[in-house]
Amino acid sequence: MRRFAAFAAIFAVATTLSGTVFAKDDARVESLRTAEAARFKANVDADPKVLGQVLDDDLEYVHSNGELNSKKEFIESLVSGKRDYVATTFEIQGIRIMGDVAIIRGTAKVTVGENGQSRDLDLGYTDIWVWKDKRWQMTAWRSARMPPPAAK
Amino acid sequence: MRPFLLLALLVSLPVAVPAAPRGDEASARAALAARFDAALRGDLPALEKWLADDLEYCGVSATCSTKAQYLESVRNGTRKFKSLEPKVERVTMYSDTAVLTGKVYAVSIGDGTVRNVNAYFLVVLVWRDDRWQMTNQSSTLLTPASK
Repeated sequence: MRRFAAFAAIFAVATTLSGTVFAKDDARVESLRTAEAARFKANVDADPKVLGQVLDDDLEYVHSNGELNSKKEFIESLVSGKRDYVATTFEIQGIRIMGDVAIIRGTAKVTVGENGQSRDLDLGYTDIWVWKDKRWQMTAWRSARMPPPAAK
Repeated sequence: MRPFLLLALLVSLPVAVPAAPRGDEASARAALAARFDAALRGDLPALEKWLADDLEYCGVSATCSTKAQYLESVRNGTRKFKSLEPKVERVTMYSDTAVLTGKVYAVSIGDGTVRNVNAYFLVVLVWRDDRWQMTNQSSTLLTPASK
């Protein structure tokens, strides 16, 4: 009976511990989704305060046209209006968290304003986030233009 | 008393097991160089080793492949290179992860035509089974100005 009680106690502790880990991971995934949504919205709003929070100081942002921006360059381009994201919709296709590093893979439709006109870009993207200062911060972005749908 | 001993043993296990040696920046750079070299040679056993089972390989056309799909494209010859020159520009180390960025200058011959493919790459390596394995590569074509 005592042996059974011992194993029961160990099982209970192990189960509680693993449950805590899973709950923590779920919370981290959710906070990452929230951060990603806030970042896309801040791009459209050209909001330097939010972007300052969600972008890592070491950010490497490679646009789908091959232009590379640092964090400072990226925020300045939005605030100055040089780069104008009129609207963005996105879909996360996968999130993986490995310690303090996360990979998000997704697609986005970005409406870009240029000389009073707008055009849509269909992108596949990967971004890398790091957990720093008790929050997620995006440290790298790569995107590529998706091929146009085949004619039917 | 015994249950408490068992419990103490369970709790102390992570501390008692000696930590496996982790990869450093030099080994991450070497792993990536070996991965590119294996891709150039079409070396399937080497690629099998360097690519993580959960690989996401996203090319310049925004399409992503799994490890099985990537290996099949090498096997059937649709992914083939005449030359492949990576230049790593930044390596950031985390606990069991390394993020490497840079440029790669490739001459692709896989689709029957010779094509220059110059791109920014973003690679994530994970330390598993006592070696680095590539779990993500995502690329964007370089602009003529950024080459």
